[in-house]
Amino acid sequence: MFPYSTMLQPIFWMVIGLLTGVFVIGLRYWLKDLNISMNWWKWVLLSFWIVLLAVTLCGSFTLMGENEWTAGYRFLLFFGTVITISGAGLWMILRRVNP
Amino acid sequence: MDRRNFLKYSGLASGTLALAGISSAGFVAGRNKDGNTGFGRTPYGKDQFFNRKPFLVEQPTYMKVGTPERIGYLDHLFRRNAELRYHIFSYGREGFQKVRDEGPEKLPEPLKSYYIDNPSAFEEFFRAMDRANEQKANWEKYKDRYMLAEAWSAAHASPLGAPGAFPREPRGNPEESDFSGVNEDSLKLKSPQHGSRLIKKISHLFGATLTGITKIKKEWVYQGALRGRGRGDFEVPGHWKYAIVIAIPHEWESFYANPTYGTSHDAYSMLRFISGKLETFIKKIGYSARSHIPPTSYDLILPPLGIDAGLGEQGRHGILITPELGANTRLAAVSTDMPLEPDKPVDLGIRKFCNKCKICAEECPGKAISFAGSPYKTVRGYKRWSIDQDKCYTVWNSVATSQPRGCRICLAVCPYSRKNNWIHTIAREADPRDPTGLVSSAMLSMQKNFFSYPGGKEYLPPPEGNNKTYGKPPDWLRTEEWFDI
Ligand code: SF4
Ligand code: SF4
Repeated sequence: MFPYSTMLQPIFWMVIGLLTGVFVIGLRYWLKDLNISMNWWKWVLLSFWIVLLAVTLCGSFTLMGENEWTAGYRFLLFFGTVITISGAGLWMILRRVNP
Repeated sequence: MDRRNFLKYSGLASGTLALAGISSAGFVAGRNKDGNTGFGRTPYGKDQFFNRKPFLVEQPTYMKVGTPERIGYLDHLFRRNAELRYHIFSYGREGFQKVRDEGPEKLPEPLKSYYIDNPSAFEEFFRAMDRANEQKANWEKYKDRYMLAEAWSAAHASPLGAPGAFPREPRGNPEESDFSGVNEDSLKLKSPQHGSRLIKKISHLFGATLTGITKIKKEWVYQGALRGRGRGDFEVPGHWKYAIVIAIPHEWESFYANPTYGTSHDAYSMLRFISGKLETFIKKIGYSARSHIPPTSYDLILPPLGIDAGLGEQGRHGILITPELGANTRLAAVSTDMPLEPDKPVDLGIRKFCNKCKICAEECPGKAISFAGSPYKTVRGYKRWSIDQDKCYTVWNSVATSQPRGCRICLAVCPYSRKNNWIHTIAREADPRDPTGLVSSAMLSMQKNFFSYPGGKEYLPPPEGNNKTYGKPPDWLRTEEWFDI
């Protein structure tokens, strides 16, 4: 089953890697244009938040794939709320704290 | 659009696409049958296996609190029910009511002593028989809907128990039957370690998902009846030195759709072939062997042997829980005198998790599982979880199947019975490494708040319930997908 097939699986993850690379390049421009100056710990916080977002989406869809639809929705709702609130907090930190 | 804006918007689009890709990879990880450990998967599928090394312990996690005793054969539900039925039928058509009215006092020994000590078991037997009559009468209503499930179960049951079924039941004393066909020109085994490694490789190739080896403690041997010899007490034969314990799961999709779509016979018939072949293999390399296979062809109690052999720990529902298969772990064993190196037991924190969890007790339609805060009952010298087998059997006779062929809801709802994919693997690996118990509390809270369970009686037919299953039945078991109903 896609992407778990001998040929498509490595190609799939290469494409995801490529997309992530383009995303990071774009993100740097966005941050510059929004006058947000970044340092190492801001990058760590932002990366952590993005990973959390990806894991939440992936986790919720994994549960849905298992036919645990209710668990998938509730997982998304709960961690989605956590992500939204922490995202808003992170945004304020990124904007207000200037290294 | 200038270059800067192009990169900005491409970045945004790429990020969104990457998240969508990761979400769909997650969906596929949940849906993928490769996440179903064991059943139908290659024995070389290394990713299936849990590394037990960090969790090996000297003493198993069950608690010895007294002098261990051997289990009497009447403690086995099927055997005592068979014996009671035989007694009832000896009176002809009136037997059922007569024996019920007379109570346990008039039963022949050893039934009389057993039921005087366990009067609720006597009552429950007749309740189960009443339910069996209703079940038979109701089957007419359900037989179309569950035609494929019935066929699936019957197909798996067909190799079991018939005269001449493989492997042949032992005949005569174990000193004869376990040695019959043993190669007398065998070679010297290099070491017990070589023996264990070889046997594990072979049993995986025969289809076992898990294999563990342990010495046989005498308290894990039934007393009062011995296959091949019949009734009567016996000493544990000297050549029953080691048990090779093998485990496989039920087919996962039907397993989640318990009680009406699942069956125990799929695992039982596979176990029969695996242990029968292992028995033959061991005899051909020069050692005695005897298979012990469910549902009734055994002289050993299998779950504690599985615990001793390091496969897992006992759950609240009384069943062995392994990290790979959860409670979807069905066991068989081969006893032998082949020199082998035993495995060590493991402590994966399962007993502690069960103290808090109680999901199986909440979902059991028969209220057969205890809600106690920790293993509470002392059974033959061990404090452990113990279910009310007789109440459980009443549920078997109540669900919408053609005959009592099990329930298995407690196994399907158990949080350990989950797929081998990334999300459950994180839980599986993190919990036993966390000394604070925080991981297990967080997992349990998610399990209870995110997942929905139909709840106890809902698994029963109307009027008590609605024939609910825990998971959605797969299309290949839904008759309406293939036939006009
Ligand atoms: S098999 Fe069903 S009735 Fe028996 S203990 Fe498990 S949930 Fe209860
Ligand atoms: S459902 Fe919970 S309490 Fe029951 S055996 Fe599984 S983990 Fe233990």
